[in-house]
Amino acid sequence: MAAAFVLNKASILERLGGDEEIYAVMVSMYLADIENNCAALAAAYAADDGKVLQREAHTIKGLLATFSDEPGAAEAHRVEKAAQAGELAGLGDAVTELQSRLREVAAVLRAG
Amino acid sequence: MHTVLIIDDSDINLTLIKALVLKLGECNPVLFDKPLAALEWCRSNEPDLVIVDYMMPDMDGLKFIAAFRALHGRNEIPVLMITANDQRDVRYEALLGGANDYLTKPIDRVEFGARVRNMLSLRIGQKFLADRAAHLAELVDARTSEIREREKELIFRMSRAAEFRDPETGAHIQRMAHYSQVIAHGLDLGPAMEKLVLEAAPMHDVGKIGIPDYILLKPGKLTPEEFEVMKGHARLGHELLKDSGSEILRAGAEVALSHHEKYDGSGYPKGLKGTQIPQLGRIVAVADVFDALTSERPYKRAWTLDDACRFLEDGRGKHFDPLCVEAFLAGWEDVLEIRQRFRDEEIPQI
Repeated sequence: MAAAFVLNKASILERLGGDEEIYAVMVSMYLADIENNCAALAAAYAADDGKVLQREAHTIKGLLATFSDEPGAAEAHRVEKAAQAGELAGLGDAVTELQSRLREVAAVLRAG
Repeated sequence: MHTVLIIDDSDINLTLIKALVLKLGECNPVLFDKPLAALEWCRSNEPDLVIVDYMMPDMDGLKFIAAFRALHGRNEIPVLMITANDQRDVRYEALLGGANDYLTKPIDRVEFGARVRNMLSLRIGQKFLADRAAHLAELVDARTSEIREREKELIFRMSRAAEFRDPETGAHIQRMAHYSQVIAHGLDLGPAMEKLVLEAAPMHDVGKIGIPDYILLKPGKLTPEEFEVMKGHARLGHELLKDSGSEILRAGAEVALSHHEKYDGSGYPKGLKGTQIPQLGRIVAVADVFDALTSERPYKRAWTLDDACRFLEDGRGKHFDPLCVEAFLAGWEDVLEIRQRFRDEEIPQI
């Protein structure tokens, strides 16, 4: 279980060159897409489709990294690699945790 | 304005990259979330920079780059690949597979700006060199064309210099050269050869420049000895023009040497027969004789067109190459037009 997500807006803004406008757009898009990402991840796992699960986990890894959530991105990376290796058995908990992480980050961003 | 093509299946990444590109200024981002649609767009559009994500459905970034590079004219356009920072092997593969550089996620604005600017500078340099090469090619073409025109003018003037010492006129040179072209066309020799025939034919009598006036301008019939001297103009013309670096002058040398050969071997200077006679000589022989017959001269009246045609027909296989006579008569409408276009300005009195 990864440590709780702590929003480090300063580090994110630093990467975005201090552009609050871009930051706001990205947060808004993240919040708009979050349930779609969770659903796509769950569907790929349920379908036992390693390739799609790998890609969805990869996308989520990028999203979490964008908001400087390194522990969350690391979790997504583990799911991505396991899916790539075809080791889907036992990934159920990890997929659920990843969905929780996405929602946790969303809640923090929303509170923002 | 630089056209920056951005391909990423994630909307949030597309939005972020588009915003960063717009911040750079003078950039027009074009977005695609499907690589195949982007590839289709690239068939008819030329971006200045491509930014492509690695992991996408349908076609990953590596396959996209390979397909993009395979399109005509897209080999040099800079490509930036976006990868996760743990994908070192993918980055290596991308660089070896045609990407110019890479960006890692999460995207850092400073690094992004520097790398995109570098790629756009590369593109500006490429375009500058391409424009310069095209400009230089245009200049070379223009200069070459000028030189070629000057060469043609000099040839025409040199041919006229020889004809000035003869009762024949500048119009004769033009007519016989164009008749020769009609024959070359009828023989289906192709546009390049037709042009060469047109340009080389005027030099057929340039060797007359070396014939003494008392023979060249003699009003009456030449003695056998004088005729032997006169026949020397073929070799003289060849000597004057041979071994030139110019293709036209080399063709002119061949014409000068062979235009008095006859198909049955009774001509001069070598007495060549049939296809031993260079084709240029066989062509020019028909054109030159026809124009000489149908032109008025101080010492003779012009033959009628019918009589001149009959002379050519009777001379098939004897004086003339039958195929050249056939080609000439097949272009009769053109022959008549050439006669009208190049009339003798002053008809010398008989």
